[in-house]
Amino acid sequence: MKTNNIKGTGEAINRVDGRLKVTGQATYAGEFSVKNKVYAQGVNSTIAKGKITSIDVTEALAQPGVIEVITYQNALKLKGHEKDLPAIDNTTPMAVLQSPDVHYYGEYVALVVAETIEQAQYACRLVKIEYAKEEALTDFAAAKSTAIKPAAPEDYFRGDVEKGLAEADETLEVTYVTPIEHHHPMELHTAIATWMGDEVEIYASQQMIDNSVKTIANTFDIPEKNIRVISPFIGGGFGSKLQTHRHVTLAVMAAKMTGRPVHVTVTRTQMFTNTTMRQRNEQKMRLGATKDGKLTALAHETLSHTSTYEQYQEPCGTVSKMLYATPNNEVKHRLMPLNLQTPFAMRAPGEAPGSFALESAMDEMAWKLGMDPIEFRIKNDTQTDPSNGKPFSSRLLNECLRIGADKMGWENRPKTPRSRREGSWLVGYGVSAASRASPYQESAAKVILRAKGGEVHATVQTDATDIGTGTYSILAQTAAEYLQIPIERITVELGDSRFPVTPGSGGSWGAASFSMGVKVACDNVLKELKEKVGMSEDAQANVAQLLLDNNLATFEATGTATPDEGRAGYSVFSFGANFTEVWVNEHTGMFRIKRMVNVSSAGKILNPKTAYGQILGGLTMGAGMVIAEQTKVEPNFGNFITRSFADYHVPVNLDMANVEVIFLPEEDKIANAMGIKGVGELGITGVASAIANAIFNATGKRFRDLPITPEKMVMAEVEAGVV
Amino acid sequence: MRPFTYVAAGTPKEALKAAANSSASHYLGGGTNLLDLMKEDVERPEQIVEVADLDLAQVKKNKGGGYTIGATLSNSATANHPDVRNNYPLLSMTILAAATVQIRNMATNGGNLLQRTRCPYFYETSMPCNKREPGSGCGALNGSNAGHAIFGWSESCVATNPSDMSIALAALDASVRVQAPDGSSRLIPFNDFHRLPGDQPEKDTTLRPHELVLAIELPAPIYKDHYYYLKIRERSSYAFALISVAAGLEIKNDRITKVGLALGGVAHKPWKLTSAEEFLVGKAPTEENFTQAATLALKDAKTLEHNKYKVPMSEKAIARALAQAYARKA
Ligand SMILES: Cc1cc2nc3c(=O)[nH]c(=O)nc-3n(C[C@H](O)[C@H](O)[C@H](O)COP(=O)(O)OP(=O)(O)OC[C@H]3O[C@@H](n4cnc5c(N)ncnc54)[C@H](O)[C@@H]3O)c2cc1C
Ligand code: SF4
Repeated sequence: MKTNNIKGTGEAINRVDGRLKVTGQATYAGEFSVKNKVYAQGVNSTIAKGKITSIDVTEALAQPGVIEVITYQNALKLKGHEKDLPAIDNTTPMAVLQSPDVHYYGEYVALVVAETIEQAQYACRLVKIEYAKEEALTDFAAAKSTAIKPAAPEDYFRGDVEKGLAEADETLEVTYVTPIEHHHPMELHTAIATWMGDEVEIYASQQMIDNSVKTIANTFDIPEKNIRVISPFIGGGFGSKLQTHRHVTLAVMAAKMTGRPVHVTVTRTQMFTNTTMRQRNEQKMRLGATKDGKLTALAHETLSHTSTYEQYQEPCGTVSKMLYATPNNEVKHRLMPLNLQTPFAMRAPGEAPGSFALESAMDEMAWKLGMDPIEFRIKNDTQTDPSNGKPFSSRLLNECLRIGADKMGWENRPKTPRSRREGSWLVGYGVSAASRASPYQESAAKVILRAKGGEVHATVQTDATDIGTGTYSILAQTAAEYLQIPIERITVELGDSRFPVTPGSGGSWGAASFSMGVKVACDNVLKELKEKVGMSEDAQANVAQLLLDNNLATFEATGTATPDEGRAGYSVFSFGANFTEVWVNEHTGMFRIKRMVNVSSAGKILNPKTAYGQILGGLTMGAGMVIAEQTKVEPNFGNFITRSFADYHVPVNLDMANVEVIFLPEEDKIANAMGIKGVGELGITGVASAIANAIFNATGKRFRDLPITPEKMVMAEVEAGVV
Repeated sequence: MRPFTYVAAGTPKEALKAAANSSASHYLGGGTNLLDLMKEDVERPEQIVEVADLDLAQVKKNKGGGYTIGATLSNSATANHPDVRNNYPLLSMTILAAATVQIRNMATNGGNLLQRTRCPYFYETSMPCNKREPGSGCGALNGSNAGHAIFGWSESCVATNPSDMSIALAALDASVRVQAPDGSSRLIPFNDFHRLPGDQPEKDTTLRPHELVLAIELPAPIYKDHYYYLKIRERSSYAFALISVAAGLEIKNDRITKVGLALGGVAHKPWKLTSAEEFLVGKAPTEENFTQAATLALKDAKTLEHNKYKVPMSEKAIARALAQAYARKA
């Protein structure tokens, strides 16, 4: 069906790539057919620390189909880190197989290349490696004395927390613990690398194309122009595909060494050890407040861990600097180098665990003060970011809280813990506030117009990625709106390093940055077309009509959106509020989330359907933090004892609630000209505490250590003398 | 991939004959456990004899009033079979609490009885495990053992049996009909089918080499009114039990006349709660009696470092399952 409906931004259209996906025609990185391709499989270390003393590859090499076994002894020499324990980012080189040293259990120690994946996997088991094992440090409790001050973030002080605590009528000092979690996108990490002379082409599942090119250039010390990265469809990332992990290095290296295109897939078990993870965080919170609910002090101290060769600090405390008005504030992070892989950003890095601590502590304090936790938050609201004195570009947190409370029937909540029962279920309500920075970064796009049978079609190209978020759809909507061409005639092409550069998907900046890039390209194509046909810049014109009227077959322009200086004077954040109703079974310790209401204030919503999907996914992942998600470290060997989806439990449908998501109508023109903020990470923020607070409301018991398993429930009762 | 030969058997006789030809032969039911373990390199059969197509996929009424449930019938078909639903609702309820619809559709009853432990050390070939590699040590004994046994374990293995279905079968006092390559067949009482680890944890059951499971034999219909399967797990579905309880009660004149009670997730075999059963017979179905039975059931539990929670959790679950069973038609 053809319509002349533009379907611009703000419309809840179905995904433009939906049909491709459900018919299997959307080609993901590992699905490209590359001629002459061979397969490679990584071999993982079986000690947590030490040195390889011998490697015997004879038997592996003798297997049918095996082409090469790569170890540190024959690997290409790559650029390693220039200093010890460098802070890592999205372009840090990813050297691998460079020395006999083993830093953690599961580290790559060899790569087998074979004609088929089965041959490669089988031969992996025949690579005989001996180690000189050394004492590894993987126990959090035992490692506390090794904690260092991380390269970033800096310690932060405002006022005098001790003084603030002394002045308080009520104080609170509690520690919250969140375990190691893994991203586990549905699509496994994968890469297919092909060398053509000095140039290498890589199909890879990567969130950031340009950074991926840079990482490979840094790792192999080759010019960026010789590298092409292609990643048109991505089956989820959650931050795990921000960096270009070592399997990509392995594919590029093996392709160089064997002269064949090489396909490396990270197995589900290797997803635990060879991609990245969210680290365990212990967050000590100290709060002081006056009787009437004014915060006098807020201190947030985080203890995390990193690997022994790179450092990454999850900025858990950031949220405590900006969310509430308090004159006295202290935020610190400390980091223990352990024999575990390097952690990195996972959906809402900082905020997801940080807001569990802050929003649970706020609930605890409200309860101590005898205040409604919503009123307590509103009492400490601020329209100015206390960490830098800048006004928020917009902050509708109070509105989110009030509207959500109304939807939820908050006034009917159980006012005291353990006071409502439905059969053998204890019923509780919980609330939390959410905030997440809405960055916006330089982003480019190209628009190509083509006349076809009296119609004008447009193709948009950018190296932006769609990690399942809906980028294809919102960019088609943006182009339709700013070109005034119906969406059916718009084609969006993404994820190729030959396209104009964007920052890629991450940090909730994608929608704003990419859309703005496309808008500028659309504006430019009209402007440049007018110039070409000699029309004045101010004249009213339709780009399609102009092309047709001037008998032009095609016309193209690029554009780059850049954050303007006006924005620099503001703090730009998305805000939200989460409400939950949770039922806890007093016999089994299992709980059900019955209802979730989320109210988000996230600027202009480009597509309510895909934005809803983002919030729903965030809520589910937040629920996962409380229900069961945790990666456990084996106490004697230092490996992850949770090594598959049978052990690492993510929520199932039955765990999820009746969910309602409300977006406040808003356009934040300070954030950017289109008024867009981010939604990708907002949805997970604060969710865990809204559930844990409801569990407190239901049971009268505070669980400060996630996840809240039946085991913990029953042991809490044992301690309380109930069982 | 490790090479293996594949035989599709058409009759039990063919299957038994083929199996006897190889020392490392495995029967293949739905493959939901065996194939996973082969991919993990834990099971390394040299020969696979597929038995899924054997003519054993029926539910039949026996002369004595009981029923025979074929080994190759799927878990789904078993749970949804009208004769099973009507006569052994405890078994239906239990099977439906396991895994997912997709897995239950594939899984056979024979394979379910013989599924292997979910102990993570058993799965990870780089770690010690006496069950996988006799003599290599038990990684779990002093390692991560939150999911492990509190009854009947030995220093050589502390694993638990993961099957839900088996817990109901233990409560129902079923037996297992098996056939040997020489054609002889025998009936193994359910409580003797799985074994404790002792110093041979590599052996999960008392099956002799190559014996084929033909069927599960159930006694005359029982616990049709008062039954419950309570499964405590880390999420609402699609997770193995932390602990589980199958409870069936026969009640006459407000007295318990017969009890079937078994506990899952606590031992190398389904843990039949005989002393609790005996305690309850002749008593009134009251909360207090249920609680006392639960306390009695856990009396001899021996916990490991990380599984102490299983004792209070089991006590609560047993009392609750009995109460739920009673309440179904009280
Ligand atoms: C993700 C997942 C979740 C699961 N969750 C649960 C759960 O919650 N609860 C639960 O109880 N189970 C669960 N299971 C296990 C599932 O129930 C078993 O895998 C299934 O019952 C095995 O049956 P099968 O026919 O597929 O066995 P197969 O994998 O074919 O065989 C298993 C074993 O039995 C042997 N065997 C098969 N048939 C015969 C026979 N007739 N005679 C002799 N030996 C035979 C095989 O040689 C093999 O050693 C889960 C499995 C998976 C993969
Ligand atoms: S408990 Fe049994 S299965 Fe687990 S490691 Fe020990 S021997 Fe192996």
